Amino acid sequence: MFKHYMNKTWVQNLLLALMLGLIAYYFGFVFHFDYEFNWSVLYTETEYGHMGQMLLNGLNLTVSISLYSAVLALGLGTLFGLARLSNFKPVYAFATAYVEFFRNTPLLVQLFFWNFALPAGLPEEVKMKLFELDFEFWVATLGLGIYTSSFMAEIIRAGIQSVPKGLLEASYSSGLTFNQSLRKIILPLAFREIIPPLGSEFLNNMKNSSLAMTVGVAEVCWSAQEVEALTYSGFEATAAATVIYLSLSLIIATFLNLVNARLKIIGNDGVPIIRRIADVVFFPFVKISQLLSDLFWHLGRAPVDTRTLSPGAAAWLKIRTNSWAAIVLAAKVLFVAFLVGIVYQTFKGLASFNYQVIWDNIRALLIWRFPHGGSTEVFMGLGGLSMSIIMAVISISLSFLIGLVVGVGRTSENRAIKVPCMFYIELIRGNPLIMVIFWVYFFLPPILKIQLDVFWSATLAMTIFFGAYIAEIVRGGIENIPKGQVEAAISTGLGYFQTMRKIILPQALKQMLPALVGMFIAAFKDTSLAYIIGVMELTTAAYSINNRLMLYPFEIYTTIAVFYFICCYLMSLYARRLERKLSPENVRLAM
Amino acid sequence: MKFLKVGAMAAAFCIATATMAFAGPTYDRVMGDKVVKAGISNKGKPFGFIDANNEWVGFDMDMAKEIAKRLGVKFEPVVVNNKTRISFVQTNPPKVDMVLSNMTHKRVRDEKIDFSITYFFDGQKFLAKKGAIASGKDLAGKKVGSMQGTTSIVNAKAYLKKMGDSNPKVTGYQNEVEMFEALRSGRVQAISTDSTLLIALAAKEPGKYELVGEFISDEPYGIGLPQDDSAWRDIINFTVQDMWKDGTYMEIYNKWFGPDTETPFPMTEKIEMWP
Repeated sequence: MFKHYMNKTWVQNLLLALMLGLIAYYFGFVFHFDYEFNWSVLYTETEYGHMGQMLLNGLNLTVSISLYSAVLALGLGTLFGLARLSNFKPVYAFATAYVEFFRNTPLLVQLFFWNFALPAGLPEEVKMKLFELDFEFWVATLGLGIYTSSFMAEIIRAGIQSVPKGLLEASYSSGLTFNQSLRKIILPLAFREIIPPLGSEFLNNMKNSSLAMTVGVAEVCWSAQEVEALTYSGFEATAAATVIYLSLSLIIATFLNLVNARLKIIGNDGVPIIRRIADVVFFPFVKISQLLSDLFWHLGRAPVDTRTLSPGAAAWLKIRTNSWAAIVLAAKVLFVAFLVGIVYQTFKGLASFNYQVIWDNIRALLIWRFPHGGSTEVFMGLGGLSMSIIMAVISISLSFLIGLVVGVGRTSENRAIKVPCMFYIELIRGNPLIMVIFWVYFFLPPILKIQLDVFWSATLAMTIFFGAYIAEIVRGGIENIPKGQVEAAISTGLGYFQTMRKIILPQALKQMLPALVGMFIAAFKDTSLAYIIGVMELTTAAYSINNRLMLYPFEIYTTIAVFYFICCYLMSLYARRLERKLSPENVRLAM
Repeated sequence: MKFLKVGAMAAAFCIATATMAFAGPTYDRVMGDKVVKAGISNKGKPFGFIDANNEWVGFDMDMAKEIAKRLGVKFEPVVVNNKTRISFVQTNPPKVDMVLSNMTHKRVRDEKIDFSITYFFDGQKFLAKKGAIASGKDLAGKKVGSMQGTTSIVNAKAYLKKMGDSNPKVTGYQNEVEMFEALRSGRVQAISTDSTLLIALAAKEPGKYELVGEFISDEPYGIGLPQDDSAWRDIINFTVQDMWKDGTYMEIYNKWFGPDTETPFPMTEKIEMWP
C-alpha cells in the first residue's frame, strides 16, 4: 500500500513540498538565530563605502583571473599533453615531470611558492619591474593557470590515447598522411573524449580562483571577508559570495551542456531542442573551423611518389628532407641543452640550501609540538604532515558514507529522494571548498548550537564537500552497470536494497576504486586550505615557521612541496595500478 | 521507520540539552566552569605571536593570563585573527569569553559586541624603507600595503586621497607578516597599520625602516566582550583598573614596550580610573 502510493508522482511532489514547508517553518518560527539580519549592507552606502560595489569589484577580478588562467592553462595543457605523447624521451620526461609535480602538490603551496619564494630568487631589477605590475594578480593568474594546465595536459593526453590504434593504422593504410589522419580521424574523435572533462576543469579553475585571496587579490572571497570585517554582517556577505559562485558555476555548466549537446552524435530522427540551441550558438565556430579546414585542403600537397621524379626535383626533395631533419635535430639538441640547464640550476639551487634550517624544523613539519602541546590543542599538539593525513583519512572515510547514501539516492526514481540529493550535490559542487569551510566554521555552530574547534570544522567541511563529489562518482558507477542486471535481479525476486547490496554496488564500487583514490589525493591536497581558519596542518606549520625565520622561504616551501608530492605521487601510482588491474586494455598511442 | 524515529528523538534531545547547557550569560558560565576562553592573535607581534621556541606569547597574552589569574579561573587561549575576532564573541554561545587581539574600540564594532575600557593606546602610521619617503605628501601615488579585516585599509585610502592621490593603490594582505614581507621585498613602498605593530615589524631588521608622517588615526584598544553582559563587563573593567592601580599593568607593559625591548613605545596616556 505504502509502496504503491510512493510510486505516484503527486505523492512524491507533495512530500517534497512538505519537507520544504517543514524547513521553512522551523527556521521561520521555531528557530532563533540570535542574529540580526541586515541585508541592506549589500546595497546601501555604509560608513566604509559601498559593500555591493566591493563585491562586484571582486566578481570582476574573479572573472578576469579565471579567464586569463583558463586560456593559459589550455595553451600549456595542450603543449604538455602532446609532449607527453612524444617519442623523444627528453621531451616526454620533462612533460611528465611537469605534469606530475604540479598535479601532486596543493595549489595553495604553489601559490605561496610563487608569491613568497620566487621573488627572493630573482635579480633585483627584474623583481622591481615585476612589482610595478599588478604583481599579486599575475602571480595568482599564473599559478592557477599552471596548476590547471597540469590537469588539462592529462585529459588531452588520455583523450588522444583513447583513439583506438586500429583506426590510425586503417587511416595510414588508406593513404592518408600523418597530418590528414591527425586532422580528420584522431582529433575529431579525441575531442569528443576531451571536451567534457576539460569543461569541468574550467569549472574547477573558476572555483580555485578563490585561493587568490591568500596572496591578497581582492576577488569575491576576499571581498566577502572584507565586507564581514567592516560591517560585521558575515552571514549576508558569505551568502552573497555563495550566490555569486553558484551563478558563475551555473553559467559555465550551462555552456558546457550546450557544448556536449553539440558534440553528441545523433540520428536523423528528432533533434532535441538543446541541440538546436547549441547549433545556433556554435554556428560561427563551426563555420570558422570549416573555412580553416578548406584552407588546409588547398594548401595541402599530394604525397610525392619518389619513383617518378626528375633527377633535379629528386635532389631538391632530398635537400628539403635533409634540412628539415637538421632543423629537428637542432631543436632536439637545443631542448636537451635547455633541460640540462634546468637540471643544473635546480641542483645548484638545492646545493645552496641551508639544510640545517630544514633539519631543525623537520620535526615541527612532521608532527608539530606532539606530544608537548597544551591542553587546548587537539591530539596533544599534533600538527604538520601527520595532521594533514589524519584530516584526509577522517574526511574521506566519512564522506564515502555520505557519498554512498546520496549517490544511491541520486539514482533513485523517487523524486522525494532524488531531488534533495541532487540539491545537495549541486549546491556543494557549485562552490569552492573555501566557502564550505567558512559556512561550517562560522555559521554551523550557531545554527546547531554546538561548539566546533578549527580542526573539526575543517574536517567536517571537507567531509561535506567531498561527500558531494563521491556521490557523483557513486552515481556514475551505478549508471555504468547495464540495466539488464537490475531487471534480472528484480525478476528473480530481489528487493531494491537487496539488488543494490548484492548485485549493483559490489560491481560499481570495484569500478569506482581508482576514482576514489583520486578523490583521496584531492582531499589530502585540500587539507592545505584548512590554513585559512588556522588548523595546524602541514601548510600552516610551514607558514608559521617561515614567518618566524623570514629568510628561508625557498627551503621551507620546497620541503613541504616535496612532502606533499611524495604522498600524492605514491597514491596516484597506486591508483594507476588499480586502474590497470581493472581495465586490461591500455595501448599507448605514439605521435 | 523505527530507526528514523529514534534518530529524530535523539537529535531533538541533543539540541534541547545543548541549548540548556549554554544558556545564561558569560559571567555565570565563566564562574561556573572556572574556565575563561580568551581570543588572542598569534601573528601580531608584540601583542600575540609565536616565538622562537614555538611558544605563544605577547602583551595581550600576558594581560589575558593576568585577568584569568585575578578572576581565579583556568585560562584557555584560542587563536583569532583580524577576521574572526569579532564573530567569535558574537556567536551564541560565544566561542571566546573575551578577545584581546589589538582591536580598536570603534562605534560600529560596539554595535555588535561590547568593549572594556581602553587598555592600550595606539594610532595608525606608515612604515617605509629608511630615507625613501620623507613626509606624508610623498606617499601620494605610491603602492601601500595594509591588512585585510582591519579599518587600516579604509584609513590609509582616505589619507592618501587627502594627500592628493586620486586613485590610491592599497593592497590588503592577510596579516602583519605578509604585509611586512611585501614591504621588505619591495612590492609596496610603504605599509600602514597601528604604530606598535609597525615598530615590532621594523625591529626584525633594525635600522632599515622608519615610521613616516603623523598619526593618521587614534586607535584605542579595548577588550572585546559578548554583547549585553553587564556583570561580565564590570568585572573585566575592574580587573584592568586594579592591574593599573597596583602596577602590574606597567610591569607587563614594560616587558613588551619598555625602553630596553625590541619595540620601545613610551606610555603617554592613562587608563580610565573610576574612584
